[in-house]
Amino acid sequence: MKKLYSLTRACMTSDMNLFKIKTKKDGKFSNKILVIFIALYLMFLMWSNANILFEKMAPLHLQFIVLSLAVFAISFMTIMEGVYKTGPLIFNCKDDQLLLSLPIKRSTVLFVRIFKFYVFELMFNSVFIFPIMVAYIRWADSLSWTFFLTNIVMLLMLPIIPIVISCFIGAIISSLSSRFKHKNIAQIVFPILFFIGLFYLSFNMGGFYEYIIKNATSVNDLITKIYYPAGIYATLITDFNVKDLLIFILVNISLFAIGILILSKFYFKINSRIKKVVTSKRVNINNLTIKHNSVYKSLMKKELNTFFQTPVFIVNSGFGLILFILGVIILSIKFDSILLGLTDPNGMNISKDLLTSNLSLLAFSLIVTTSYMTSITNSVISLEGRSINILKSLPINVKTILMSKVYSSLLITTPVFILGTIVLAIRFKISIIETILLLLLSILVPLVSHFIGIIINLKYPKLDAENSTEVVKQSMSSFLSVMIGMIFLIVIVILITNFAGSISSVLMLTIATIIHAAINVLLYLYLIHKGVKQFNNLSV
Amino acid sequence: MIEIKNVTKKYGDKKAVDNVTFTVNDGDIFAFIGHNGAGKTTLIKSIVGIHDFDEGDILIDGMSIKKNPVECKKLMAFVPDNPETYEKMKAIDYINFICDMYDVDIETREKNIKKYATLFEMEDKLNDTIDSYSHGMKQKIVLISALAHEPKILIMDEPFVGLDPKAVFDIKEVLNEMVKEKKIVFYSTHILDVAEKLCSRVAIIKNGKLIKSGSMKEIKGDKSLEKVFMELED
Repeated sequence: MKKLYSLTRACMTSDMNLFKIKTKKDGKFSNKILVIFIALYLMFLMWSNANILFEKMAPLHLQFIVLSLAVFAISFMTIMEGVYKTGPLIFNCKDDQLLLSLPIKRSTVLFVRIFKFYVFELMFNSVFIFPIMVAYIRWADSLSWTFFLTNIVMLLMLPIIPIVISCFIGAIISSLSSRFKHKNIAQIVFPILFFIGLFYLSFNMGGFYEYIIKNATSVNDLITKIYYPAGIYATLITDFNVKDLLIFILVNISLFAIGILILSKFYFKINSRIKKVVTSKRVNINNLTIKHNSVYKSLMKKELNTFFQTPVFIVNSGFGLILFILGVIILSIKFDSILLGLTDPNGMNISKDLLTSNLSLLAFSLIVTTSYMTSITNSVISLEGRSINILKSLPINVKTILMSKVYSSLLITTPVFILGTIVLAIRFKISIIETILLLLLSILVPLVSHFIGIIINLKYPKLDAENSTEVVKQSMSSFLSVMIGMIFLIVIVILITNFAGSISSVLMLTIATIIHAAINVLLYLYLIHKGVKQFNNLSV
Repeated sequence: MIEIKNVTKKYGDKKAVDNVTFTVNDGDIFAFIGHNGAGKTTLIKSIVGIHDFDEGDILIDGMSIKKNPVECKKLMAFVPDNPETYEKMKAIDYINFICDMYDVDIETREKNIKKYATLFEMEDKLNDTIDSYSHGMKQKIVLISALAHEPKILIMDEPFVGLDPKAVFDIKEVLNEMVKEKKIVFYSTHILDVAEKLCSRVAIIKNGKLIKSGSMKEIKGDKSLEKVFMELED
């Protein structure tokens, strides 16, 4: 037990800076304030949205449904996120050599890894669920000490089942991927196949839902049958009993323990197989291509190599691109039925004339929404890790290094946005001038996102990360760049919805092009002045 | 020539390098020795432009690394203590990448890559990704890429760590060859007997301060370098 405590403490200290004893004045105080501010902002958003839902549910005395839904949604989100995180967080960790050589059980090593995952998800989940729990107090019909006890237990137990599920799925994906020569491609393809399968299943489960609804004795029973923790939570809130609470705790702890025990049987095998490096066929030096490239071309090749060799990076930053492609396909094929839905007098009731005369703005909205979700550059500095010293020792300008990272990101996004824009322009019969403006915007808007990403990553680099997942998914930089992108997105959507109809779409697109060009110039100037200084100060 | 003039580098309040001054002349093989944490790597990283420093200046052939970093770096190659490379790249791509950064023409790089890959017995392994290599093989790739662009100044931090005896022997030959061409080799090491045999000049650093610097003969006299070092450490 002492070993387990020491090991857990050591891993948590090194990986998450928890339990860290401060020996000197903390120079990153402002960063901590920022983290707290963002967490509080998110909590406020959750609290205010929960209040709106509670207000609707209160007259029906169904407030507990909001809590159950929150548990369900957060658990689902944790599983989706967790599938990507488990590979690098559980398997193939940097400290594997150290931990696996120590005289401790493999299940202990696995426990430490999963416990670290649990602590992270506990903090993450709490930001979302805690404000909803607080909001419930205002709307509850009656409150007693059991409500608080239930919520404390729920907070602690909420991440367990999702992380056990995602660990198993992650282990299967890692195991399958490790059998392929091109592991990286397999690591991208398998999770995508899993999610496609999940969506396919969820859209084809009508019969299953009908069966559950028919056989459920109450709303609580119905929710319990869909997702046990969500249902038992509703039961404990509405009709508390110690027995159910104890069973709930026991089920979670048992699942956690059984999960670790089962996974530990395969852990070492999967881990070893992942680490196995496949070497290429021996090629004599005389048969190798030795090429001369320009500095920019060479740097961009290096960036693209990093991008395409880091599955979690592709999936995370490519999310916006995938949404854009899906958006283009759906708008192109199903536009008529979407139009019917939007103009339905009983629905959104938007004027058909307004919509059809502003189709270029619809395309622009799609470009903007997905561009600000595609932040490739928010991890490009952190992903350098210790190799940042190579770049810093080379005889090239820092401006060249930074701009090569922006250009290579643009090289990834531009073909997709240009092609999609052309498809939409043909489908919606958009005028030439609007098409030209949209094409310009499909370069300028992602460029803003790329500049923001790299500027934030220079401000909040994470060069000592354990793995790429930590950089891509758990860094301040990736979080902030998405938040700032969202602010840009909200501002633009508000402007479009307020001015569409009152000024022509050509004028609106022209203004958007000019504004985006100006923002790009400002961001570029910031990057080559302040950004260069920040890069020079980076040290590992 | 490398001129280190009153260089001070601080980490917070602590001086990692404290007012260090010495010169490395063309044709020198210069050993930079000191105990762990003495400030060797910090000074080396300052020379090659990875770290900025707080006071003083470092001149490379008369040019300041602070004012003219790109021109200074064109003359140098750096081999770090830990072979830091792009692990997912093929070795040949990594070497080509470094050559591109130094704008090495195709004939020179072909000649040098073949020469050093053969010397380090890596000629049929360059098509593999670097993450499949052992520590020593990675170190060899870093050395090949450093030598491929024919630097005037070779700066190395613990270059012999992890290398097999043959590779160590071969490197020593390469360094001697460089010195004959009036090039500079500056490296930090803990292997004092190799430094004693190989180097013409030496500097000893302790707690960030330079405590001894000069020709190998001057510094060690009739004693061994190890003995001198141990006495100075006490």
